Amino acid sequence: MQLQTSATQNAESNQERRRHVFDLDDFSRAEIEEVLDTTESMKEILSREIKQVPTLRGKTIVNMFFEESTRTRISFELAARSLSAGVINFSGRGTSVEKGESLVDTVRTLQSLGADVLVIRHSQSGTPYLVAQHFQGSVINAGDGCHAHPTQALLDLFTIREKLGHIDQLKVVIIGDILHSRVARSNLWGLTKMGARVTLCAPPTLFGAARFWQAAWPTINISYNLDEALDGADVIMALRLQKERQQAGLLPSLREYSRFFALTDERLDYARDHALVMHPGPMNEGVEIMPEVALSSHSVISDQVANGVAVRMALLYLFTT
Amino acid sequence: MRYLIKHGSIIDPAQRVATIGDILIENGKVVQVFDLAEMAPENEALGENIEVINALGCVVAPGFTDLHTHLREPGEEHKEQIATGTLAAARGGFTTICAMPNTNPPHDRAAVIRQVRQIARREGHVRVDIIGAITIGRQGQTLTEMAELVEAGCIAFSDDGSPVQDPTVMRNALTYASMLGVPIMSHCEETRLNAGWAMHEGVVSTRLGLPGYPAAAEETQIARDIALAELTGAHLHICHVSTAGGVALIRHAKQRGVRVTAEVTPHHLTLTDRWVLGSLAAFDPEIPPPEPVRTTGNRRGRKKAESVQHGLGIRSWLDPRILPPYDTSTRVSPPLRGEEDLEALIEGLRDGTIDAIATDHAPHARVDKECEYGLAACGISGLETALGLVLTLVHRGEMDLVHIAAKLTEGPAQVLGRAPATLHPGARADVVVFDPDHPWTVDTAHFASRGKNSPLQGQQLKGQVMLTMSGGVIVFRRGDFGKDIRTIRHASRLDGILSGE
Repeated sequence: MQLQTSATQNAESNQERRRHVFDLDDFSRAEIEEVLDTTESMKEILSREIKQVPTLRGKTIVNMFFEESTRTRISFELAARSLSAGVINFSGRGTSVEKGESLVDTVRTLQSLGADVLVIRHSQSGTPYLVAQHFQGSVINAGDGCHAHPTQALLDLFTIREKLGHIDQLKVVIIGDILHSRVARSNLWGLTKMGARVTLCAPPTLFGAARFWQAAWPTINISYNLDEALDGADVIMALRLQKERQQAGLLPSLREYSRFFALTDERLDYARDHALVMHPGPMNEGVEIMPEVALSSHSVISDQVANGVAVRMALLYLFTT
Repeated sequence: MRYLIKHGSIIDPAQRVATIGDILIENGKVVQVFDLAEMAPENEALGENIEVINALGCVVAPGFTDLHTHLREPGEEHKEQIATGTLAAARGGFTTICAMPNTNPPHDRAAVIRQVRQIARREGHVRVDIIGAITIGRQGQTLTEMAELVEAGCIAFSDDGSPVQDPTVMRNALTYASMLGVPIMSHCEETRLNAGWAMHEGVVSTRLGLPGYPAAAEETQIARDIALAELTGAHLHICHVSTAGGVALIRHAKQRGVRVTAEVTPHHLTLTDRWVLGSLAAFDPEIPPPEPVRTTGNRRGRKKAESVQHGLGIRSWLDPRILPPYDTSTRVSPPLRGEEDLEALIEGLRDGTIDAIATDHAPHARVDKECEYGLAACGISGLETALGLVLTLVHRGEMDLVHIAAKLTEGPAQVLGRAPATLHPGARADVVVFDPDHPWTVDTAHFASRGKNSPLQGQQLKGQVMLTMSGGVIVFRRGDFGKDIRTIRHASRLDGILSGE
């Protein structure tokens, strides 16, 4: 897809650094590569005995988590601390409207209190764009509704490149609850920009309408048959299946889903020998992925978690300083 | 006071008249229309106490009728009041507006109707007609006392934003209303098909991860209501049709002779779901760069040639990319739809499937919109941009001016079973004067409406209302419009916008 715009050109020529990370749709390939290269340097810092550099000393980062999250919040917190920034955790339950206080008012307050970076996780798609309109510092999206999870996609890209040496031309299969997955959407932008061949595999009720996915990301393939989809795969990403999807009538039963769409040892045989198994977590072992697969030599799930800190350090370093 | 509106391009859809000439207004009525061949005599011959209004280069038409307006009073006066809403109507060229019952209390008993009419008479700038609720509390269960409400002045019934889900209640409403000779205005939405929706279900909602409102949720309800209209013989009016499938259903029903009429909003005719992308549309390669508004060479022949060059991805010079992504001003019910829906709506308007353009003016306070997209109130403050928006269809050569004017005047009058507004001598002097070529930039801060919620903020429109007269009284005048009469004295040759028609 042609994505040449003044914004990306600016980023490529480094005339104007981006200030916010909303999603990967407005990242150029060169920009993604820059993040991945920087992540390597950050990983080196994390391997030192003293895992801290003074880069962001004196800066205040606020983690605004309006949705439950353990790993992403801790990952951001560790990343910020390794760069010597001050971290404040702010967890709001439910939405701002339900609480009777407007999110925008909260943001304005944090602005006045001197926050430099807002990391936001929210159940409503698009919320980081709203936050950025009322905040003068940087905004980093830590997951918004079903829309985007750019730091997860970048850590996935980093892990693939680290393990397989490149991303271009790899066959990547994403399995599961595509319709509700911000991880899938951000990975679609990142993977297609980096030249991977992506196949989405799920029952059609977990797409909404498959033709819309095909239209939004024209280079992707769509499959309803996991065995076929896994044929020759270099990378396999399983997504978490929320039990509510069955309750909402999208699936006849979890048992049937598991029988036809779970990642099993036998199905792994269709993939390439070096195939990576990934999962953004938290896993439903026995539903979308079998325990023996999650613990197999193909699994890089724990590498993903470890790389998450380095990727978030790279983003904080590149775009908020 | 007497007025002589001179040298305007007179469009009177009811009389199928389009000419250049003068209109004499006296005692709140149109007294005489002089066409080009027999211009009105000079002021002296007309005697004292007359104001001449120079309308050279402007269109003079009967005042517009809006079938679908939310005035918010009583109950939500922080969003709009009858005084501010009717002033917004006057600024938009509307001389009659129909107030929807979504108020608190709703228009579900005679006392509320009488109260609203009283406020409208006292504070209104234009005529306000009242649409009663179909069911008590707009709850979709018990019919209101419709006969008494009609007696109190209701001209139609609707539960608008809370569509009647129970088909038997809808059947009874249609049957009962047929005794009263008033239409049931149906907001068609199967709410079990779009639970939790934020925008139109399509490529954009898929990309943005927003829960979708599929076209089928509107279409299934339109199909149901058409079947019920056929069953009962009652007059069904479909509010704000927004989908290609909906237009097709209405077209087929009309062909079968079902008593169904329909309206469409200016925003559904001109904006698509791409507006929710805002600046992210910049990363969509299908959209060509916007065309600048041309302020010179404004004769229609040339414009037609230019307008066909516009790509389909972007409507005229309107450009969604100046909005941020997920801008809540684009959240409206029914949602902004896809490109193919928009094409079908224009075609439906052209071939008569759709009878009227109605604004669905839905003002909201800032706090209702300054929040997460999925939690924002639905609605667009539309009275003051309606004309400018629908004129983009004229400027692109998709509809002619007379046809558009008919959909704002004659069409809505027919839906209400009224004699169409006209400029015929003896008619009530509800008149709008607008310059179809006048370029302007939308600034919601200047809206008379309390609702500043418009996705058109900062957009350039072409065509603006200059003067509105209700019952022979000037209720809106842009600056000193029409006061400089020197030009008309010297106008040797009139080449108004109607030349070549």
